[in-house]
Amino acid sequence: MARSSRTVIPRRTVLRGLIGGGIAVTVPLPRLCGMLNDSGTAYAAGGPLPVRFGNWFFGNGIIPSRWVPSRTGVGSAWELSEQLSPLQPVKEYISVVTGLVIKGPDISPHQAMPVQALTGAQTAGGGVVQLPTIDQAVGAITNQTTLYPKGLHVGLTKVNGGIAMGLNVSFSGASAPNPPEQSPARMFQSLLKYASTSTGMPKPADPSLLRRRMVLDTIAEESKALRARLGMEDQRRLDQHLSGLHQLQGQLIAAGMPRMTGTLVDPDKAYPTRGADGDITRKRGQAFSDLLVFALSADLTRVFSYAFTGPACHGNYTDCGLAAATFHEDYGHRTSPKGVQAATEGFNTGVKFTMSCLADTLTRMKNTPDGAGNLLDNSVLYTTSCCSESQTHGGTDFPVLVSGKAGGKLKGDTHVRLVGDSVSKVPYTLLTAMGGKATSFGLGDSMVTGGVPDLLA
Amino acid sequence: MTQFSSRFLMGAALAAIAVSAAGCTGTVEGTGMTPPGGSGGSGNPGMTGMGTGSTGPTDMPPGGDQPAAHLHRLTSSQFANSLRDLFGAGVPIGALDPDQPTGGFVSVGSSSIVSSSSGIGLYEAAAEAATAWLLADPARASAALACVPQMATDTTCASQAFSTLGRRAYRRPLASDETNRLVMLATAVATGQGGTMTLGMQAALSAILQSPNFLYRVELGAPSPADGGRLKYDSYEMASRLASTLWNTVPDNALLDAAGKNGGLATADSVIAQAKRMLADPRAHQGLAAFVDDLYALHNLQDAEPDPMTFPALTPTLRAAMQTELEMRIDDMVFGARGDFLSLFDSKTTFVNNELATHYGLPTAASDGFRKVEIPGDSPRAGILGSGAILAGLAMPQRTAPTRRGKFIREAVLCQTVPPPPSNVVPVLPPPTDPSETMRQRLSQHRVNPSCASCHSLIDPLGFGLENFDGVGKYRSLENGKPVDATGDLDGAQFDGLAQMGAVLRHAAITGPCFVSKLYMNAQNRLAGARDAAILDKLAADFAASGNKADQLITNLVSAEPFRFVEPTKP
Repeated sequence: MARSSRTVIPRRTVLRGLIGGGIAVTVPLPRLCGMLNDSGTAYAAGGPLPVRFGNWFFGNGIIPSRWVPSRTGVGSAWELSEQLSPLQPVKEYISVVTGLVIKGPDISPHQAMPVQALTGAQTAGGGVVQLPTIDQAVGAITNQTTLYPKGLHVGLTKVNGGIAMGLNVSFSGASAPNPPEQSPARMFQSLLKYASTSTGMPKPADPSLLRRRMVLDTIAEESKALRARLGMEDQRRLDQHLSGLHQLQGQLIAAGMPRMTGTLVDPDKAYPTRGADGDITRKRGQAFSDLLVFALSADLTRVFSYAFTGPACHGNYTDCGLAAATFHEDYGHRTSPKGVQAATEGFNTGVKFTMSCLADTLTRMKNTPDGAGNLLDNSVLYTTSCCSESQTHGGTDFPVLVSGKAGGKLKGDTHVRLVGDSVSKVPYTLLTAMGGKATSFGLGDSMVTGGVPDLLA
Repeated sequence: MTQFSSRFLMGAALAAIAVSAAGCTGTVEGTGMTPPGGSGGSGNPGMTGMGTGSTGPTDMPPGGDQPAAHLHRLTSSQFANSLRDLFGAGVPIGALDPDQPTGGFVSVGSSSIVSSSSGIGLYEAAAEAATAWLLADPARASAALACVPQMATDTTCASQAFSTLGRRAYRRPLASDETNRLVMLATAVATGQGGTMTLGMQAALSAILQSPNFLYRVELGAPSPADGGRLKYDSYEMASRLASTLWNTVPDNALLDAAGKNGGLATADSVIAQAKRMLADPRAHQGLAAFVDDLYALHNLQDAEPDPMTFPALTPTLRAAMQTELEMRIDDMVFGARGDFLSLFDSKTTFVNNELATHYGLPTAASDGFRKVEIPGDSPRAGILGSGAILAGLAMPQRTAPTRRGKFIREAVLCQTVPPPPSNVVPVLPPPTDPSETMRQRLSQHRVNPSCASCHSLIDPLGFGLENFDGVGKYRSLENGKPVDATGDLDGAQFDGLAQMGAVLRHAAITGPCFVSKLYMNAQNRLAGARDAAILDKLAADFAASGNKADQLITNLVSAEPFRFVEPTKP
């Protein structure tokens, strides 16, 4: 099949821009552009472009009166609220659903609420997650053929909120978290093996890759005898482990193959002042966004999670000018020695700071070509939190944002207000848009059988 | 009949405080932060209306008995200790996926946690780094390996190296095909393009460290004809269990040799002999410390974020000193003084370095370093609950947290589960209306509202006993200019201040059995259930009869049938 003129773009062509501290860095172009049809909307060999999905999570909630946009509608019919205002550059990709509530009797703050918002089910005893989080439910449909079937998971903070979820916002099931990587440098090193060389020449063969693969082969072979001795439940756990080994094997094989990617942004060069691992800084978020965009663009994975902060995070937000005190207590619960009013304004600043960091992720995706459009056209990000009203752990007007167009399936630029409906409706809508066939979503009081049609294109 | 009925112990170990959760309608302090594995918000209605306080509750936990798991993933500290034991001190310890605490214990969570895909990559990176470190220095390699082959043809030497190291790593002898497979790997890498025998060795050693046979303790048991066909842990599995429980690491060669001898570790006496040897070994300290860290929820200390405008800095060195103090204090009681474990609740003997001594208002020493000291008799600081590690870990950024501290005592010391507040309660303490209010005054609404009082009358008074210590564990006699009122009660037993409260806790009937049940769950890698009632009963009775000697308790526990049999009770 004839290829379009886009295919003549040299593989080293990258989008150059100024990101973070004015340092020139490069953003990868999709490795697959040479494989697209003439209109750039699908693979030449058939099949649509992949749609990527991510949880973009932040802890400690919002101030509903400053979060909920004043008008509903589509396009110019609505405006972003004060707390959502940092998303203005990507408003055409944003859908806000307000008025949603956490259903069910168990509204234990910071644990049951985010688990319901992410899985559609309340927690079992001891705070145990019962169902996979929405990223994993989507990934089971869309991401099984990539190098990272469970996705890539990042998180800014190391400060645990003291709840059973820990720092995790992605679970493959009960007792099966997908812990976030907290070091951009370590993630960069991990992804480096896939990056095209800066010279465009093939990478020299890395003999360690073969050795490491031989090690994994040996382990897999050795594990057969162990597996045969185990009962069903232990077998299931071992199989997950072996599946991880298998995936690692695939990653090592792929690392030795030439790929068409752009330049991978080295966080130590682009963001040398980003702060230590665990610090909640915008530059750390930008570093992770660059790395995720690289991986999504190169189709290393179609699923990710990004924990700006975890549920009930007690970390501090000094990067946006707040005191070196816990955001959760001093600002979220307004216990700052500076008084309630100052704490309220500080909390508002923190939420806007959070949305600025989300905008950083979205802007990078929007600026990254993907097929005929950009990466954000072919992605969905589901953003939620661990409570609504921060001061009292409110569960009404739960914060829910949807970003991206899902390959044309989502309308974007929409504010829908559904007072009293279950928060589960939004992830169900997204799961269905991503190809899910289930007729319901979630468990118990949190279960829903219908979505939010107004989100769909 | 022992002095404790099994019914009593089940209540002690497993059940909930008698509270009517549905009745709590006021505000309570705190943030919903519960120790991992705590009540966590299940809102289980079965928790209501049971028994009365520390001598009554009898219900089983939701779900009943937890089945025995056979695959226990090494905890992060076990992985690190094992690497050091296998390769030597100084080996780099790579980052791993976090542990999962269940019931407060990562050892329990290790029986259900599923490794993530990214975690497999972390294991690989850690194994690559550790093996590279080992082989970079011939002296290290020869210290750790039984033989260091120089050439690919030296397969006998390689085989000896892998079988010897592998026996400890896998906690059992390697099957011949396992050893051969490793030799083949080493040889193939060594003779491949660009290969060397060092790279071949690295590959095989890395395979050992990444093997599920190392990363998981595999304890399946086998039918024992001598015991009526009951499933019993074999001798190597017993070695694995002993090393994990007592040392928090892999077995040493002596333990594996004992397991391999005729009869092995099949009898209680053989287990006792090894347990006594192991408890006298320095590695017993790290085994006990791992338990103590979970028992007293020291992750809270690491997670604490005191407000710098309110409290003095909780520096990294001070946090570390607090943790060391608590570990040394308990270690000394168990292995040094070998005294009454429960005396830790009102003991004035502790360990400090100069930074911690200053924090506590104790004299510093000309030569810094941890030393055993006696806290002055008239000091309010007494017992392990007066440790900075516990006090600073159980506080809010700008204040003390009597409810959180009281809940901790109910759960960690008295083995009672405090249910979460009902769903119509906003569990946030509002800002003070009067800045001169004390915490006791701010929490007074807990006692005014009857439905709140049903919960908080059991929790808050224990926390009030710690009110002489601020959010970072420093002593204070005044709060907002007012004298601290540290009076409270435990189920009717009155106290004024920590010293008295410690004595009350020490002598509470439930404290000893509770400690026994915690130790038991940690060793068994599972929560206790109804089937454990009889053994908990017996262990607690023997513990009391011994004068609460913890080392004897540990020996009794690991030699008891439920620790040696997969099926804990006779058919």
